[in-house]
Order: sequence, then structure tokens, then C-alpha cells
Amino acid sequence: MIEYVIKIKRKTKSIFQDGWVWRMAWRDARHNFFRLLLFASSLTTGIAAVVAIGSLNYSLRNDLDRNAKELLGADFVANGNKAFEREIRAAFDSTEFEQASERELASMVLFSHTRQTRLVRVVGLEGNFPFYGEVGTLPSDAYSKIKGGGYAMLDESLASQYEVSSGDTLRIGNREFLVSGVVQKWPGSSGILTTFTPSVYISDAELDSTGLIQYGSRVSYKQYFKTNSDKDVEDLTKKLRPLLRKYGHGFDTVEERKEELGEGFQSVYRFFSLLAFVALLLGCIGVASSVHIYATEKREEVAVLRCVGSSGWQAFNIFFIQVFLLGILASIAGSLIGLGIQQAIPYVFKDFMPMELDFMISWGSVVEGIILGVVVSILFTILPLVIIRFVPPLSVLRSDYKQKRVFSKTRLTAIILIILFPFIAAAYQTSNWLVGIAFTIGIALALFSLAGVAIALLWVVRKFFPKKSGFVFRHALSNLFRPNNQTRVLMVSIGLGAFIIATLSITQSSLLGQVEFTGNENQSNTILFDIQPSQIEGVVKLIKEHNLPANQTVPIVTCRLSSIKGRTVDVIQKDTVDRLPNWALTREYRVTYRDSLHVSEELIKGKVHQITGRDSVWVTISEGMQDNLRVDVGDSLIFDVQGVPIPVRISGIRKVDWSQDPPNFIFVFPRGVLEQAPQIWVATTRVDDPQVANRFQQELVMGFPNVSLIDLRLILSTINELFDKIGMVVRFLALFSIITGLVVLAGAVMNSKYVRIKENVLLRTIGARTNQIMKITLIEYTYLGLFSALTGVLLSVIAGFFLTKFFFEITFSLNYLELFLIGLGVVILTVSIGWFNSREVISTPPLQILRKES
Amino acid sequence: MPDIILQAEELTKIYKSGEKDLTVLDSVSFSATQGNSLSIIGPSGSGKTTLLGLCAGLDVPTRGTVSLMGFKLNVMDEDDRAYIRNQFVGFVFQNFQLLSTLTALENVMVPLELRGDKGVEPKAAELLARVGLGDRMDHYPAQLSGGEQQRVAMARAFITDPKILFADEPTGNLDEENAKHVTDILFQLNKEQQTTLVLVTHNLELAKRTQRILTMRGGRLVEEKILSTV
Repeated sequence: MIEYVIKIKRKTKSIFQDGWVWRMAWRDARHNFFRLLLFASSLTTGIAAVVAIGSLNYSLRNDLDRNAKELLGADFVANGNKAFEREIRAAFDSTEFEQASERELASMVLFSHTRQTRLVRVVGLEGNFPFYGEVGTLPSDAYSKIKGGGYAMLDESLASQYEVSSGDTLRIGNREFLVSGVVQKWPGSSGILTTFTPSVYISDAELDSTGLIQYGSRVSYKQYFKTNSDKDVEDLTKKLRPLLRKYGHGFDTVEERKEELGEGFQSVYRFFSLLAFVALLLGCIGVASSVHIYATEKREEVAVLRCVGSSGWQAFNIFFIQVFLLGILASIAGSLIGLGIQQAIPYVFKDFMPMELDFMISWGSVVEGIILGVVVSILFTILPLVIIRFVPPLSVLRSDYKQKRVFSKTRLTAIILIILFPFIAAAYQTSNWLVGIAFTIGIALALFSLAGVAIALLWVVRKFFPKKSGFVFRHALSNLFRPNNQTRVLMVSIGLGAFIIATLSITQSSLLGQVEFTGNENQSNTILFDIQPSQIEGVVKLIKEHNLPANQTVPIVTCRLSSIKGRTVDVIQKDTVDRLPNWALTREYRVTYRDSLHVSEELIKGKVHQITGRDSVWVTISEGMQDNLRVDVGDSLIFDVQGVPIPVRISGIRKVDWSQDPPNFIFVFPRGVLEQAPQIWVATTRVDDPQVANRFQQELVMGFPNVSLIDLRLILSTINELFDKIGMVVRFLALFSIITGLVVLAGAVMNSKYVRIKENVLLRTIGARTNQIMKITLIEYTYLGLFSALTGVLLSVIAGFFLTKFFFEITFSLNYLELFLIGLGVVILTVSIGWFNSREVISTPPLQILRKES
Repeated sequence: MPDIILQAEELTKIYKSGEKDLTVLDSVSFSATQGNSLSIIGPSGSGKTTLLGLCAGLDVPTRGTVSLMGFKLNVMDEDDRAYIRNQFVGFVFQNFQLLSTLTALENVMVPLELRGDKGVEPKAAELLARVGLGDRMDHYPAQLSGGEQQRVAMARAFITDPKILFADEPTGNLDEENAKHVTDILFQLNKEQQTTLVLVTHNLELAKRTQRILTMRGGRLVEEKILSTV
């Protein structure tokens, strides 16, 4: 009965009704403000990243909707890599819509004032393209001038690279043009695209007069349409689609372009939002780890509160209120910082955008960020805080009293929610459950791997502890194993940032290794193409005159497939059951003829291309295309070579290393079949001296204006440039992880501050000088930075190996210097943050501490 | 009104130490009446602090019962015991156990605030003034000497007008002068408020100021000496 009375009297108040817990939360927080702020900061960086990326996505979608038509510049565009057939032209003419056309091809351009040459995309324009949006030029009349003839304009990046300005002259093929200005903005084009393929624009009427379009020239064609309504676009699509498909051409509408771009952005957004989310998760781990230590330290105070009558929940609520409110504040701060960062993002991303980005505040993202922050601050602090509920009051009398393990529904719920959280949040962010599962497994694997490497490293250090090293080094190292030092958490969080950056570096150096020609002296680094048969002798002579090797001279014949295994391409196209890819059926094949295999080839099935009997022509096919066309050794094909049908059979299948000593081919004919067919030639050489290269290119352009030259070294530098730009974006996001790691580090230093002070006082008492204590501190953080960097870099080497081997299928290559610099950067940052937060620990006089302690 | 404030019957506490059972308290029985003062003495490891912890409801016995103000503590859960402590019990510890983030005044106010009482500040201030700390109310524990901290702890213990006060070596961390000052206050408040005082100490002089002395050895109550009656 007595117990019954007590239950009635002891009213349990909810957290909102219990004013005392709020008062106590405030009183306690006054003294831990800076420390609590640091816990919250780890959350802030993560929320900032999530909000910045979410807000960017919102701006992108908005701009995409607003500028959809400007992306295409027209309502409908037909495109193909061969001239539109008469039937199609007739269909174009039968529409009443306004049209514009464009032809483009790769060619050399010579800048007269510097005599430098460059392979560019020459674009011939006719009509009033663009119908939507505008072409931004400097000066503004540059575009109208080229329509009048005699003028050319070029991409801004190209102009600044070759120091070309209005009024200069450039030579394209046989013609000279005056530069009318530079193009700053072209509908649907992005900075990254112009870096890869810089363009020179002229009037289409003048393209033929350059003499560039000859047999074998690869010209792309576009026909732009401006309609009056969406219904017109539908009708036009219905009318032209079958015709364009029949001849292997393509088309694009505003909706399709928007969808493609939207999907592209969505994928990039997903990737970046997951990176941002990783930063948030790291922050959560940091918060959980710090709160765990905070709660452990509060054990004694909680025991006193329990003695004077506080319930377990009341004690828990005091600290929960602190972290919960700070979680809200941190989330608001993170959201505001995220909005600030978003202003910088258009600058970081500007090269990837086909349109100008307007800064827009997405309140949805801000609210999402705050909610996310509050949810994670609750989830990740409940688990470590639950121990407070079960602090036995007896601890007041016996500080060594061991707390019994208590089953707690709260703890169990928190664990389940924490496991579910990354899965649900990732699925929500990417709107895809599968991605959510994959991400959760991936992040768990990454974090476990990082933790595994960190544990292994620490184990190795312990196992092979340098017992004979100097006192300072030894003591600094043993500090890493101090209880509550959070060494492993720090190694994982800082290591993750290093891991992302180092993996990027390894991928970059491996990809560059693929196009790095300097190491192999026999491999060509310059390819000359579009050489007419009458020019091949002269080109080879020119190569030799410059004391360069003519490594390869390869004939190329263009042809199309007209029949496969006895079925014509028309029939196969109409077959809706057994479908083959249309592009493979209708494309123009550029084939060569020779009797042997090239160095880049390996016969994996059948025999080498050959002629047997009187008319039996046996060709070889490359490995991938054999799958696309679903053919095998012995199957028959008929090629249409400029109107002449040539029946062949497949003799063998070649495995081709496409990047090795180009050009490489899908189909290779035996000698004795195509010699008389219209053909062009490709020659390859190797030029190492830039001055020789420059002179050679100038003479080539002057003597053989239609011949184009690919300088693979230029590709190398372009890929480098591309990686630098992509790298900038990825590093920008990886930085969030590193910043989070460093905030966690600052928190950890604060957490262990009193332990450090006590240690230092003890060291000073037994005679350690300030100098020695400073050294110990610095070396400790150097070790920490070093081990964190090692954790990230070691794992990145493993990940990079698998990534290059199985995903990119390229040779694994390391840039040791860059990896070293990444490691060094991490060490310097770690030491700086550690040192900054330890100043008080070092500068506090021992007597002051001893007094406090007593 | 029940005369007996505390009743311990056959209190036994056994701890598991690996495979073995360690009996730290073995069938101890005693009682304390209102306004009575008793001290528990004995060598280290004799079970004094364990007995105090059980009597105050800070832990539960393996066997036996503890009744405080008629409430059987051993059948209650921890939060109910906390409620009983808040209503009827005061504590003074050897190492003061003040909340470091609270001022002296706030430390004293805590037990009443926990009850949900309003306007407790004047009472806390008055008590602090009684223990001679009227001018140090806004100081934090770290800014007070050991003796001052213990006086704050006593003010906190007496603010609820407890029926019983448990003191664990209240002068153990103090110098002679401070110890005397603290002891004087303790007995004075005990007398004024008619609080039952249970004192655990090594200090025989201090123990002699109480009315009964219980001597513990090897977890058993071996002697009970009555020095005076109320």
C-alpha cells in the first residue's frame, strides 16, 4: 500500500512541463558553452554542405525550366553525321517553319599573327540561329559580321589561349578570315565543352570555299526549326522521326534536351548530395563521440542530482535539452552558411553549366536542412546520453562503482533508428530506395574499412612501439592511446577527407597514364588525318623533312553496312522482335586494309583477315562491335562502299586496345579488295620538340590545308585541365569532410583538455620544460595527422586499384608527389587545429592548476 | 507520527567478484528514531559506507529490508527512491559533491526546485547566511575553499528540512579549524530541525558527539554504544 501511495504522489512531468530541467540545462550550459558549440559545429558543416547542394539543385531546376528553349536555341533540331538525304531535305522544305542550318567539322586553324596552329571545330552557320536566347559576343556585332562573309569568330577560351583579338587574321583551309570577335556565350554550350573542343564560327556559305570538305571528311549536320507552338513540335516530330530514323539521323526537342540535362544534373546532384551527406554523417559520428565523453564526464554530477532526488529521465533531459537546442542552432547556422556557400557554387560549377546560374534561396532546402539537423542531433546524441539515465546514485560514495548493464528501450530504439537513418535519408535525398541501400552499404563499408585501417595502424604502432626513441617522441606517441582521446574517430573522419581527395588523384593519374606518351619512345603522339591519296606522298615527305618518323600510314575507306547474315539493314530495322541498335546499323564505318594484326590488336577467335578462293573476302571485327551486331566467325555481311556492294565473311574477332598507337579499327579488310575504292589516309608520327612541332604544323597547314592534325600532347593537357576543373568541385566537397574532421578534432582536444592539463602539470612538476611540453603536443598532432592521412591514403590506394582495374579498366598508376602533398596538407591542418586549441593547456601555469585540482 | 525514522533489518549485501561471492555486509539490523544522532565507525572495508548507501536508498540490499519513514526502500525502483530522498533525506559527503557549474546559491536551491517549489531563493540565501556564506552566494565551487564548499553542501542538505541526514566523513577533507566549524554547524542544525543524523566516520572525537555509536567490523555490526539519550 505504501508503494501505491508513492506512485500516486510522484507525478512524472514531461520535459516541457518540468521547468527545473530547463533551468538546470541553462545553468550547466553556461560553463560548457564553447565546448557544446564545438559539438554543434561538426553538425553545422554537414548541414551547410547538404543545404548548399540542395539549394543548388533547386536553382538548377528552376533555371532549367526558365531557360529550356535557350538550351537548344530552337524548338526542334535534326542532326546527323552525313548530309541529309534528298527525301529528308524535301520534308524539311515542305514545312512552313523558320529554319537555320549548321555544318561542322574538325580542322586545323592557323593564327596568322603568331603562326601557331590548333585543331578546332569549324562551324558553318546559316540562318537566324539561335531562335531563342542569344549568342553573346565581344564586340556585340561579331556574329552579324560573319553572316556578311569574310569574318570568323572564335570561342573566348581559344582566343585568350592564342592571344587572338578582333582584326587579327586566321587561316582555315584555303581561306583567310578576319576575326570579328570572340564568343562568350553559345546556347547550350558550357565552358568545359569549349575547353575540349574550341570552335571557330564562319558563315556556312563560305565553308565550301575553304576546301575542307572533301571525300572522307567527317562533317556533322544540323537543321534547326522554330515552330509556333508545342503542338507544332509534336507534328514535326511525327513527320520527321521515321525519315530521320530510316537514314540513321537523330533529332532533339526542347523537352528531350531538358530531360537529358535534367537527368544529367540529377545524377551529378545525387553524387554531390551523397558526398555532402557523408560530411553530415561524419559530423554525426563526431557529435556522438563527443557527447559520449561529455556524458561520461557528467556522471559524477548526475550521481549527485540522483542523490538529491532527480529521476533518471530528469537528469537525462538536462543534457538532452542542451544538445537538442544546440542541434537546432547548429542546423540554422549550417543552413545559413549553406546559403552563403551556394553563392560561391556557381563560380565553382560555372564551367559545367550550359547556362548562367541565378542565385536563388530555396527555403525548402533550408527547412529540410534544419529538420535534418534536428533529427540527427536527436538520433546521434540519445544513444551516448542514455547512460545518464542509469547513473547509480551510489557513485557519489564510490566513484569506482561499476554501473550495471541495463536494458533500455530508448537505447535499442536509438540503435535501430541510427541504422535506418542513412538508408532512409539517402533514399529520400536521391528519391531512390536502391540508391539508399547501396549508399548505406557503401558508406558502412567505407567507414568500416577506414576504421579497420585505423585500428590496424594503431595496432602496428602499439606492437612495434619505439621503446628506444627519445622521451618526447615516445610520450607524444603514447598520448594517442590516452583514454577518451578519440584517436580512432579522428583518424576515420579526417582520413575520409584524405581518402576522397587521394582517390581522385589516383584516378586522375591513372587516366592520364593512358594518354601519356612521353614514356614510350616508339609510340606516336601526332596523328594526321583527312589526307587525300594524292597528298600522302607529300605529307610523308614533309614528315621526313623535319626529321620525324612516319610511324604509320594507314588508308581509310568509308562504307556502310547494307546486309547482315543475309538480312538487309532495312529488314533488320523493321524487325521489332530481334532488334539491333540502329546506330550500329546506319553508321558510317571507317575501315582499313592490311594483312597482319596491329600492335594494339590480339586475335581472340578465328583467323586473321584474308582472301581465300576467288571472291571470298574474310574480314576481322573488333570484340565489342561483334556483340552489338550479334555476329560471329563465319557470318556474312555486305558493305556498301560508295555504292558498290562488297560481300564479306567474318574470319576472326580482334581484341583492340583502343588507346594504344591509334588509329584502330572496327573492321579490317585484307589487302587486294579496297585499294581502288575512294579513300583517305592517316599518318602518324612522333614529335617531341615543341618548336619542331610548331614549324611542322605551320608548314602542314600551309601546304595541305585540308589535312588535320591531332596533337595528343594537347589532349593530355586538355584532360589535365578537365580533371583540374572536376577535381576542384570534388575537392570542394571533400573539404567539408576534412573541415568536419578538424572540428571533431577541436572538440576532442577540448574534451581531453583537463586530462592534458593534469598531464602537463605532472610533467612540469617532475621537471619538464615548456619547450618539451610544446614539442610533445606538436609531435602528438603530427602523429595524429600522419596516421589520419595514412589511413585515408592507404585505403585510397586500395580503392584506386579496384576502381582503375575493374571500373575504368585502365592501368593503375600513382602520383607519389601528389599523394605526399595530400598527406602533408592533412598533417599541417591537423597540427594547426590541435595546436590552436591546446594553447591554453600549454600556457596555463602549474600552480593555478594545482590549486584548482586541490 | 512514527518515532522510528529508519529501520534496517537483516541487511546483507553480496557482490559478485568473478566466480566468488563477496559479502560486504552481513545481517545488520538497527534503527534510528526522530532527532536521534548516531555514528557508524569501523576500520576501512568494514562495510560502513555500504550500510550508509543502503540506508539512504542509494543501493538495494541482497537480503533484508530498509524502511525509511515507513517506506520500504528495497521494493521500490530507483526513481521512487530518488523521490523519497528528495522528500525526506539530506546528504553531506566527504568530497562535498557540489555541482561545479552552479553557484553556491543555485546548489542550495536544487533540492527544493526539484520538488517544484517556487520562490526558494530567499530560503536558500538565508541558509547560506546561517552557515556564514552570505557574501559568497554567487561564487562557484571552484572559487570556494574546502570548508566553504562543505558549508554549502550542508545548506543544501538542510534546505528541505530533511527527516534524516546522512553524512559520510563530513570532515574527512578539512583541516582542524574548518572541521570544527563544519561539525558545529552540523550538530546545531540537527538540533534545531530535529533531524535524525546518521554519520559515518573514522574520527572518534566526532563520533562521540552523537548519541549512539555503532561499530562495524568485517561487514557485521559488532558493537552498539549508547552515549546519551535525546
